[in-house]
Parts: sequence; structure tokens; C-alpha cells
Amino acid sequence: MTGPSPIDDPRLRFDDFDNSDLFAKKPRLPAMGWNSWNAFGSGNTEELTKAMVLKIKELELDKLGYEFVVLDDGCYHPERVNGHLQSDEIKFPSGFKAMADYVHSHDLKFGMYNDIGDRLCSGAKVGIWGYEKTDCEDYIKWDIDFIKVDNCYYMWDNATFADPENAKYSYAPNIKCIEIRGIRYDAADAHITGTRAEAKDGYVTSIGTFDGTAPDHSPAGPRSSELIFEVEASEDGTSDLFVTYASDASEGTGQWLQVAVGEKIYFDALLAPTQSPEAFKVSPAIQIELKAGTNKIRIMNHRRQENTLDSYARIRRELENAGDRDIVFSICEWGKTQPQNWGHKVGDSWRILNDITFQVGSDGNNGTAAWEGDYTTSITSQYNKAVIMDEFAGLTKGWNDPDMLVIGMDGIDSIMCRSHMAMWCMMNSPLMLGLDLRRVSKGDEIYNIIANEDLIALDRDPQGVQAKRIFTTYECSEPDKEYIRDNNRIDILAKPLANGDIALGFFNLSKDIRTDDPSVTADQIMNKIGGKAVNKELFESAKRYIIKDLYTGEVTETESNVFSAGILGACDSKVIRITPVS
Amino acid sequence: MTTEGFVRELCIKAGMEQEGIFGRGRKEGWLEAEDEVFKDLQLTRKNAARICHMYLLKVMKVRDLDIRGAAKLRDLYDCRACADHIAQVYLRGIMDAKNIKRDGEFLWFDLNGEDDDAYNSNVIDRLLLVHVGDHVHQDMSSS
Repeated sequence: MTGPSPIDDPRLRFDDFDNSDLFAKKPRLPAMGWNSWNAFGSGNTEELTKAMVLKIKELELDKLGYEFVVLDDGCYHPERVNGHLQSDEIKFPSGFKAMADYVHSHDLKFGMYNDIGDRLCSGAKVGIWGYEKTDCEDYIKWDIDFIKVDNCYYMWDNATFADPENAKYSYAPNIKCIEIRGIRYDAADAHITGTRAEAKDGYVTSIGTFDGTAPDHSPAGPRSSELIFEVEASEDGTSDLFVTYASDASEGTGQWLQVAVGEKIYFDALLAPTQSPEAFKVSPAIQIELKAGTNKIRIMNHRRQENTLDSYARIRRELENAGDRDIVFSICEWGKTQPQNWGHKVGDSWRILNDITFQVGSDGNNGTAAWEGDYTTSITSQYNKAVIMDEFAGLTKGWNDPDMLVIGMDGIDSIMCRSHMAMWCMMNSPLMLGLDLRRVSKGDEIYNIIANEDLIALDRDPQGVQAKRIFTTYECSEPDKEYIRDNNRIDILAKPLANGDIALGFFNLSKDIRTDDPSVTADQIMNKIGGKAVNKELFESAKRYIIKDLYTGEVTETESNVFSAGILGACDSKVIRITPVS
Repeated sequence: MTTEGFVRELCIKAGMEQEGIFGRGRKEGWLEAEDEVFKDLQLTRKNAARICHMYLLKVMKVRDLDIRGAAKLRDLYDCRACADHIAQVYLRGIMDAKNIKRDGEFLWFDLNGEDDDAYNSNVIDRLLLVHVGDHVHQDMSSS
């Protein structure tokens, strides 16, 4: 392996990220089902999976939309057998096809798991890299309906378990200056796009894209930086460009350089390493074409995103051979390369952060989750990022995935679980149950949360619009865009529905009771989401409103166009469905 | 120490039958297929942590601790599949972290590192001394 492949298809390039022209995608709502990871970790088995299938049927969860049964990590033999994937012969003695047949025989859909690297996160040496064709042919033979693809051991980024020095592919080197036709242009005087790169001691560093795995960075706004030099040319012609750079293999300073003039790329390769990230040297000549007038010379490295997109596209391309079989493609690169920018080109959903819990269960152990935490491992960590990502999602794009549900795990109470379910439904998130369903009975506390038809109807609404945060008690000017991690607040989310109703969610993120009772008017709601509402005028001018509390089922009527939730307990929420009446 | 060496020493010290231990351990859920297929490879620290943690859960029936106390390990969240294993063995004092003193002092579990035979033997001893309700790690970090 000498480095990532050339990217010849311009549709995989950063400049084309906004276009959905790579594959013909079927508009679809977020996937719903059960995934083995949060429930059983690597300890899932054929016997356990069959038990989950039977419980889904017994509880009639399938009638509510929970249709996928997904085997996550830990189900494979730890190395290839004759070049093919094979099930762990003790955990899944009947093999994957038999498992798929069993799931299908119960009118459910079957999902599997792999990884764009050469291993799975568990360490099994069966990652799909280099085996895209073989593995997808097998997946198609096994009749899968869904595949989740992870990002461990990835060769072209410093992903989990990958070589940390892979960061050399992810960032441009530090840039001091460029030289064209004998004229030197200092990086410190050039224009930096985005917010990732910065000028430092006479050079520019961090030319590339944020690592979005951890919750430190906002997903909103330009996430990638380039260094732009404006160069005047008196006439059209070819010139030699020399770049003075210093490389490293660490987050922020890499070795891979892309050079473009306007949209045309002239260089896209690894430069020779330098002694240190501050020991600058001059690159070999890079031939570029300049036009008479002002030329924008772009010094950049978008390969972190492009390589990952390319890897997922290779899989998607092979899955296209499934013919009529409709396979949902769940991208799980943890938000590392800002998949909200490109995920829509290949996938049906994209994870936005690292896992919601690292304390998963096993048979007899519920696992543990948290309401809040410093890292990604909490309900609110995931929510806080996903809630400002609504503009990236949609029926024809795909869905932000704040990870699988942790309802039923230890460490969170039923109020938290109910709010968690409501958040995910308002945000059009995939709804993947992650508990041992043998613990659930119809009518019990967990069942009443996961089987709340009114909440699920929000997630399944055919309009397919992720709710927008239209108000927060946290002081900010743009509640729908500002990344807020202080949980001492109440958020109000609004979601337009296909029949003209509006769902409103009031979420108390804090662990204290809140009496401040924020409210919004019909006009304020339409001001924020009116463009996506079915009948904005009707909602604004309605003489009265029918309001359904989606937790209690209580229906009331009001002539007031002011909506509020009243006192909210710790971590509690209220979700209402408002029907305007003319 | 190889994975097989570790598992066999655990068998001896725990009084378990060695014959067929890999198949039995996999069925009981505390060993993985990779432990058997790659039993001749040197045992990594993350795999030692996994075996110990799953042995605690499946054989010794010891419940998990809250892992937040292990968040001080800088590489804890580097592995979604093994973070809990590492946290549990660290918090119970079965395996230590390394106190790294470059770029400011921090604790590092060293997921892919390997320990010598004496250390691994000591890990097994510590594992078998765990009792339900045992208290958490007492900063036994090695430098």
C-alpha cells in the first residue's frame, strides 16, 4: 500500500459534494429495527438473535415499523476462509444465509455489519477493504436488506486502530509561501477559507477538515479550510508553481497536497517528508495553467473526506448489483470526516459522533448509558450535535444518525428514556433498539416508550423533515445553528408534518426542574419552519388549534396561538402535535 | 505471553480443565474465536483486558462498575469494542495504566501494547482475587 488511489471520478471530489449525482437513491425514511451491539456487544449469537426476532413479533414491534434485525460486530469468523467472510461457527453455527432466512421467514428484514478498513473494530481480520466485490456478492447472496459499515483500521486516516501516522493523508503540510514566475506569495498574506486552518509564526497550518469523532467541533458552517492565493497573470499560459512546505504525520499537519486553480486540480499526491513540521523545503515544480487576469490558486487537502467517500462509494457501487433487492446503507464513520457534507451521495444515514455508550450489554447484563457526559457517550452529547444538523437531512438525502437507542440500559431512568425516544423521533433519526427484548412485555414501562405510536409517527411522517430548534433558553442568536453543549437549558423543536400539523418538542436538558416555561407563538414557529410547512397560512391564521399530548394522548383545544409546556422536571420533555383549525 | 499461554495459566490458577478450554470459553462467552484461531500470537493488552472482563462477567458473575472513573485514560475511547473491557480491568486494579510524562503527564492504557510473562501472570492473580462488590482502582499506575 503506497497511499490512497487516485480519484478519477469528479463526483467524489469536494467541489461536487453538494450534488447527489453519484447513485440513483431511493427516497426513504430512517431505518427502524433492532441492532445487536448495545444489547449484547460482541456476544451476540444465533440463539439470541432468534429470540429477538420472536420478541419483535410477540410485541408486534414490526407493526410499528421496527423491521430490521441487524447483526453488529462480533459475528464473524476472525479471518477470511478461502477469501470469503464466514460466520463465527460457535455463535452462528447455521451461517448467515440461514440467519437471513429465519429473519425473513418472520417477515422482518436482515442487516449485517462490516468496516471500510482491513479489520472490524473488534479486531477480526475481515474488513471489506480490497474485498468490496467479493463481500458484496456474498451479502447479496445472503439476501441482506441493510448494512452498517464502520471505520476502524482505516488505511487513509488516523481512525480508531489505524496507524496514527495516517494523518499524513488527512492534512496538507504547513505552508509558508508559493512561488510563481519568480514572484513569492506569502501564506500569511493569503486568504484562509473555513475555520480549521490558522496562520502561525509566518506559515499556515491545519489545512484540511476537523476530526468530528469527538464532540468538540460544530457540524455547522464550513468545516474545511483551504489557502487561497490570488495571482495576477497578464496572459494565458503554463507556469511552474513551487510550494514551500513542512510536513508531519499528525492531526493538523500532513504530507498530502492538493493544488487547484479554480476548480481544476493540478496536483494531488504525497510530497516528500521534511525533517520536522517547521523545517521548510521547496516542492518540485508543479505545472499549472493560468488565465489572463486574476487566478485563484487553491492549496488544500480534501482527501480526508474524499478518501472516505471513495471507500463507501466502492461498497455502494457493488451493492447496486443487488438488483431489485433494496439494501439500506448505514455509514458509520462516527462523524470523523464531516459526513453531513457528503454522506447523502452514497448512504441512507451517517453517524455523527463516536458511540453513544461504550458500556454495552451482554446476555444478562443491561449495559449502561448516561444522560450527559463530556465525551460522545451520552444521550445529550449526541442530541446536542444532531439538533443543529437538520438542513443536512431529508428524504432524498439521508439522515443524521446520533447512534442507536439506549432505552432500557442501566444508568438512565424512564423519564430520560422517554425524552431520548422523543428527541430521536423529532430529529428523524434511525430508531435502532439496543436492548435485550426478552426483558420487555406489552404495556410495561420500556414498551410504552419504544412503542409510542404517536412519537414514531413523527419519525415516520412522509414529509420527512427533521425538526428544527427554533428556540432555546440558552442565550444565542441562531438556535438552529449554534452548537450548545451546556445542558442547563430548555430547547423547543418544531417539525412540520405531511398533513399540515406541526409537532413541537420542549426538552429540559438539565438535571434540575425548570419552571421558566418558555413559549412560542404560531407566527414564531412559521417564521422558522414555514418554508417547509404544508400550509403556512392556515397555521398562522387558524382560529383554534387541536393539541395532542404525545405522551399522555390527551387532546385539548385552544384559541390561543401561544404554545408552552409548563413546568418540566429534570431531563423531562413534552411533545405536542398541533392541528390548526380554520 | 501468547493468548494460549494466558488462557492455560488462567485455567490452572482457576482450577479449570484445560482440555477443550477454547471451545468451552467461547460457548460460555468469555473467549472469542480470535483467541483460538490466533492463540499462538502474543497477547495484546486490549485482548488481555477483554478476556479478563468477560471472565469476570460470565464466569465470576461480577457486575460492571461505572466506567466514568476510567475516563482519565487518554486512550480509553480509542476503541469502541474494548473501552468497557479496559475500564473494568483498570478500575478493579487488575491491569494498570502507564503514566506517560511527555507533553504533560497523562495516563495511557496502551491498547496494542504487550506485557511480559510476569506481568500477565500477575494480571491473572489479580483477576482471581476480585470479589463481587470489590472497590475501584487505587491508582496503582506504573510509571
